[in-house]
Amino acid sequence: MVKKRIGSTLFLLCVFVVLYLPIFYLMFYSFNKAGNMTHFTGFTFDWYKEVFSDKRLIAIVVDTVIVALLSSLLSTVLGVFGALAIYLTKGRHYKNMLLSLNNILMVSPDVIIGASFLILFTLLGIKLGFISVLLAHIAFSVPIVVLMVLPKLQEMSPTLIDAARDLGAKRLDVLLKVVIPFITPGIFAGFFMALTYSLDDFAVTFFVTGNGFSTLSVEIYSRARQGISMSVNALSTLIFLITLAIVLVYYFSTRGMGKVKQLSGGEDA
Amino acid sequence: MTKKTIIQFDHVAKRFDGEIILKDISFAIERGKFYTLLGPSGCGKTTILRLIAGFLEPSEGTITFDGRMVNKIPPNKRQVNTVFQDYALFPHLNVFENVAFGLRINKLTNKEIEPRVKQALHFVNLDGYQNREIAELSGGQKQRVAIARAIVNQPQVLLLDEPLSALDLKLRTAMQVELRQLQRRLGITFIFVTHDQEEALAMSDEIFVLNQGKIEQSGSPRSIYDEPINRFVADFIGESNIIPGTMLKDRVVSFAGKTFDCVDQGFDEREAVEIVIRPEDLEIKPHGEGLLQVRIESQLFRGVHYEMIGKDEDGNSWMIHSTKSARIGEEIGLFFEPEAIHVMRHGETEEAFDRRLESYEGAGHD
Repeated sequence: MVKKRIGSTLFLLCVFVVLYLPIFYLMFYSFNKAGNMTHFTGFTFDWYKEVFSDKRLIAIVVDTVIVALLSSLLSTVLGVFGALAIYLTKGRHYKNMLLSLNNILMVSPDVIIGASFLILFTLLGIKLGFISVLLAHIAFSVPIVVLMVLPKLQEMSPTLIDAARDLGAKRLDVLLKVVIPFITPGIFAGFFMALTYSLDDFAVTFFVTGNGFSTLSVEIYSRARQGISMSVNALSTLIFLITLAIVLVYYFSTRGMGKVKQLSGGEDA
Repeated sequence: MTKKTIIQFDHVAKRFDGEIILKDISFAIERGKFYTLLGPSGCGKTTILRLIAGFLEPSEGTITFDGRMVNKIPPNKRQVNTVFQDYALFPHLNVFENVAFGLRINKLTNKEIEPRVKQALHFVNLDGYQNREIAELSGGQKQRVAIARAIVNQPQVLLLDEPLSALDLKLRTAMQVELRQLQRRLGITFIFVTHDQEEALAMSDEIFVLNQGKIEQSGSPRSIYDEPINRFVADFIGESNIIPGTMLKDRVVSFAGKTFDCVDQGFDEREAVEIVIRPEDLEIKPHGEGLLQVRIESQLFRGVHYEMIGKDEDGNSWMIHSTKSARIGEEIGLFFEPEAIHVMRHGETEEAFDRRLESYEGAGHD
C-alpha cells in the first residue's frame, strides 16, 4: 500500500518535472553570460537590463496590460449580464441552447476564432490595431466569465430573491443588494480568468493585430523567429513570474471565500 | 365585509400551464388571528400564501387587502412579510444587516433602524446576536432571524411557509409555543402553512383544511377535530374510525349491525352516512359489556397509550387508543358516549354542513 503511494507520488513528480523543466531551463539561461542556451559561462542581469532599456518592448508591455485589463473588465460586465440572462431564461431547452452556444466559443480553436475575426474586421473596415485586438479579446473572454458566474447563480436559492422582494426591494435593489454580492466570488474568478487568458493569448491576437500594434506574446514569437536572444528568455521569465503572482492572488482570494462556505456547510450538517 | 376583515379571497382560481392548482377559493381573514392552511403536499396551500405575498397573480377572482384590490400589486408594495421555509437569509450580511434589510430599502436612517432591529431581535429572544454571521447560526437561530427580519417591518400580516419543518421535534414544539406567544404580543395576523396536523391544532385560532386546490373545511381546531365534514378531513386530522352506517331518524344511527343513540340530526330517513369515532373515545370493557364486541388483532405500545386494532362481528376494523392493554385474540367490549359518534353526510358542502349543525346546536356551537 505504502509502496504504491510512493510510486504514484514519483509519477506525479515526473509529470511536473516534465511540465516545468522547459520553463526552468529557459529561466536558467536568462542569466547566462554567454548569450546562448548551450554553455553557462557566468551569471548576469544583462539580458534583463536589455529588456528594461528596450523602449519598444516596454511600450508593448504597457499595451498588453491595458488590453488585458480593459478587455477583462468589459467582458466581466458583459459576462455577468450574460450569465444573468441565461439564469433567468424560462424554457429549459432554450436555456441549454444558450449555454451550448456559449460553450462552443470556449472550445473552438483560437485559430478559427482569430481567422474569423480577421475576416469580420476587414469586412467592417475596422482598422487592425488596438481596437481590433481589444474587441477580439472581449469576445473570447465573455464566455469564460459566463462560465465562472453561472454556477454561483445556480447555487443561489431562488427564495433569496423572493425574500428581498418581500422586504420591499425593487428589481434594481434585488440585483445590487442581493444577487451581485452573492455571486461576487464568481465575478472575481471570471475577471482573473479573463485577465490571464488575455495576457497570454497568442493565436487570436496574431490574426487581428496590425502594423505598429503588438502584444507581448506576438512580440516574443516574432523575436524568437529572428534568432535566439537571451532577452527573450528574460522577458519570458518575467511574464511567468507575473502570471504566477496572479494565480497566487486568485488562489488566496478564493480560498478566503471557500473558508466561509465550509463553515456554513459544517453548521448545516 | 366587516371592519375586522383584512384579506379577502373572492372566487380565486390559479392555473399553471393549464394545470389547475386552486379552484374557486373564497375566504376572509380577520385581523389579529392565527390562521393555519393545512393540507397534504400539492394541495395548493403554498400557492395561496404566494398569492397573498404577491409572488403570484390569480388567474381568476379577486384578492382584497384592507378593502383594496391587490391582484396586480407587486410583493414589494404589500404590507405583508414572509418567513420562508428555507429561511432565505442573505449569507453576505450579518444578523443585524439581515434584519435591517427591509428598513434600509425603505431609506430609514441609522438612528431609526438600530432600536427597531434590536427590538425585533429581542422579540425572538436573540438579544446580543447582532454581529453574528449567518453561517455561524444553528437552524433554530436562523429561524428566529428570519422571523425578526419579517416582523421588523411591522407588517399587518405575517406569512409563514412551513417554517418549522426543518427543525427537530423538540425545537419544533418549543417554537410552536413561541410563535403563538409572539402572535399574541404583536397582535397581527399570522397565516401559517403546514402539513403537520398537530402543529395546526396546537397553534391556530382557525384552520383551513385544503385538499386538491379546494378548502374542505374551515373552523376552530376543536370544531374541525370533533366535527369533520368528510372522510378526508376526518382522516387527515388525527386518527379516526370511519364506518359506513344508516341514519334511522334524528338522533338514532345504525352501524356495525346495531342501533345507537347519537346527537346528530337533520338527515333524511334511512340516509346512508359515514360515522366517525375517534380511537381515544373508545373505552375498553370486559367481554359482554359495552355497546360493541370486538376481537383484538394487533397491539402497539405508543408510549402515552396502547394502539389496538379490533374487528367486530360485521368485519369493521376499530382502532382503539387506551392506557389499558389487552391480549391479542382476546374478546373485549367497547363503550362510547352518544357524543363520541359524529355522523357525516356524503358530499355535503361546508355551508350546508354549518347550517345543519347550527340548526340543532344553537348559538353554543363555535
